[in-house]
Amino acid sequence: MLSFILATLLAPNTEAWVPVPMPPGFRVQSTDSDGPVFADSRGHTLYAWPYKALRNNGAGETKGKPTCYGKVLRQTAGLMSPYPAGIVLPELEKRPACTDLWEPVQAQRNAQAVGKWTILPRTDGTQQWAYDEHPLYTSAKDHNPGDVNGTAPHTFLRPNGEDFSDAPAYRWPVGPPSQVPPGFAVRRVPAGRMLVTDKGWAVYAYNRDSPTRSACDQACARDWLPLLAPQLARAGGEWTLIDRARGQRQWAFRGKPLYSRAADRFFASQEGSDTPGWSNVLVQAAPAPPPGFTIQDTIAGSVVADPNGHTVYVYNCGDDSQDQLSCDHPDDTQVYRIAICGGGDVAACRERWPYVSASPDAKSGSRIWSVMLVDPATGHRAKPGQGDALAVWAYRDRPVYTFALDKRPGDVYGDAVGEWRGERNGFKAMWTRMEMLER
Amino acid sequence: MKKLTHAVLIAWCGWVGHAQAAGDPVPPPPAALQGGRIGYVMTHLFWSIYQSPDSRTDCPKGYNIGPRGQFSALFPPGKPHTLLDSQLAQEAQTWNPSSKADSFAFYEPVGATARGMNLDGRVGPHDFTSPGGERGIDNQLFRALGCIEGFRGPQGVEFVFEDKAIADRRYNRVMLELSGVESLVNDSDVTVTLFRGMDRLLTDATGNKVIPGGSQHIDLRWGRTLIRRMKGKIVNGVLTTEPIRELVIPWMNLDVPTTQIIKDMRLQLKLTPTSAEGMLGGYADVDTFYYQLCRNDSTHHLSNGDISAISLYKSLRRLADAYPDPKTGANTAISSALDARFVQVYINPLTDAEQKQLTALAWSNTGK
Repeated sequence: MLSFILATLLAPNTEAWVPVPMPPGFRVQSTDSDGPVFADSRGHTLYAWPYKALRNNGAGETKGKPTCYGKVLRQTAGLMSPYPAGIVLPELEKRPACTDLWEPVQAQRNAQAVGKWTILPRTDGTQQWAYDEHPLYTSAKDHNPGDVNGTAPHTFLRPNGEDFSDAPAYRWPVGPPSQVPPGFAVRRVPAGRMLVTDKGWAVYAYNRDSPTRSACDQACARDWLPLLAPQLARAGGEWTLIDRARGQRQWAFRGKPLYSRAADRFFASQEGSDTPGWSNVLVQAAPAPPPGFTIQDTIAGSVVADPNGHTVYVYNCGDDSQDQLSCDHPDDTQVYRIAICGGGDVAACRERWPYVSASPDAKSGSRIWSVMLVDPATGHRAKPGQGDALAVWAYRDRPVYTFALDKRPGDVYGDAVGEWRGERNGFKAMWTRMEMLER
Repeated sequence: MKKLTHAVLIAWCGWVGHAQAAGDPVPPPPAALQGGRIGYVMTHLFWSIYQSPDSRTDCPKGYNIGPRGQFSALFPPGKPHTLLDSQLAQEAQTWNPSSKADSFAFYEPVGATARGMNLDGRVGPHDFTSPGGERGIDNQLFRALGCIEGFRGPQGVEFVFEDKAIADRRYNRVMLELSGVESLVNDSDVTVTLFRGMDRLLTDATGNKVIPGGSQHIDLRWGRTLIRRMKGKIVNGVLTTEPIRELVIPWMNLDVPTTQIIKDMRLQLKLTPTSAEGMLGGYADVDTFYYQLCRNDSTHHLSNGDISAISLYKSLRRLADAYPDPKTGANTAISSALDARFVQVYINPLTDAEQKQLTALAWSNTGK
């Protein structure tokens, strides 16, 4: 008997989840880009900070042990290289403590553990909710239900699902399991939340199929392998079963029979979608870039580009303190970014890495893309009514940029400019496909 | 018509052995040169660095120090330093480089010998002489890199990274196809097309040694802008091509899709039915070279090779010897040579439409 619970019927492009026991006051919140996440009573996303090995030691939290507290750290921890520990961190007078940016999700004294939700003691005498033993936090950068601004802007993982290994120890949203039958999984890729097999291979649909019949005959099925269901499998929610020859049954999702592709050479490939009629299956598509933006081919894959075809970049930054605080947001210190983009000169920065300008009243159609007013002299948010404020496009509440050395559509000369290949204090192109980087 | 009479392929030998053991009939081996065409896929590419047996002869003052050494000298341990004035100041210079001199000595090779090609057809005062005695060798990049440990084979970090990346990543899968070939020994008129493959390299059972006889698809999806075509001739088994305006080489390690741009690029390769080995010469675009290095490596990996990007940039600018900027007059490219090795590969046939597309791209990208 399959164990997955029948799906609630949801609007297309909203990912279904497996209901799990939750304490009172919490809920599941759908997001634009990260699927369903746990949220507090305000709808604010809950994050965990899993331990990550870095070049010299590591940062983050092991299960059951909160380490984010109210002390302002003053020196680098030397977790990366080649720079040593003990360097005085910038703008100490304004530097936040870990808990200023990451508020622990407090558990009341009479709170009761339920399911994977447990209660951890903190050294300051309070109690903190945990999920799967990971202490939970909300982000000071989230303001509305569905915000996931606490996550790094560089959300575009490799097709095999790997995090970039030299990125900071990020905090990640925590949510319930995706509602997929055994044999399937959901993986976050630039195109959205992609349905893959439990081994990681891409799942495809064919536009000549109907909800009850596959048009992929015996010859076709040598290249496109029907994903067969065991005899015990039962339809439910968005998942159905169609009959194939000789009593075989094939899984279908949202009325589309499902296949993997024999020629795929790496996990979560999008190569099959270049074959006419075939497409990857997304349980939730990523929000489209703002109107006028384009997608351009490069020699490595494709990227988001501005209306002129110039590659769009996000800026990533995590500091070298044990707290691994972000420095990539307009509310954070700007000294890291300005060092890289302009050698310490704000004007040079704007020239070399121009913001992608927006009309102040432009709308993106999604929560994850927005228009932001920035102070051109500081890089921080503009003050209310500031006359010289720049209206710029932002992704996850952080401005996006183009690079002056990119001259033609498809140029990506700015990709990986900055410390640690653009993963810690630098720029990364907004890749939508990057399969030529695979082996 | 001249006929190819070279030895059978190594890969075929291995395959025959397998087939015979299984008792199967043995089909004839596919010829490496078929219909006047032969393909090769790159297995090694790196900057030509002449190294005498004793490195003290090349660099009598030793090798240059890298980011760690410079950081310690500038910001001694035990004293308080702010991030802004130390680490970020160094990174700011790395990513916003200047040609102004710094306080560190920069060592260059002192000898008159270097490998490379005579790119300009002249013998100039700064030119080298090749180990074989050819004068007029233009390779100022060797001057910049020759006393940096990370660029010296076989264990320099750059040397190691690039070979590994060529083997591992299809992004770097440079191929060349010779067409119109009547003989791999002497042929006065052949056409050479460069493009990218999309498949893994064929290796022996260890997985480490690339062997001839593999097959590759041509990348007409993402690699369109990489396609080039040029004319050449084969004399005594050595292919020499005419220079083309510019070659873009996909050059990635550590997951960053970067390139090299080589202006006036030409090839000199010793050909056999199983391999092509020799040199690629031209003027490397300085900015592209510099940012490729920094973007792929970042300061951590540069440190492992004792490569100070900050100091190297000043050297590159000082030694650049071609393509002056029309506004500033400063040279933007530097004479260089790359050692290259290829093995024979079967290139999967294209449809007629794809072949037309390839031809059109080849000539338009090459600028003809």
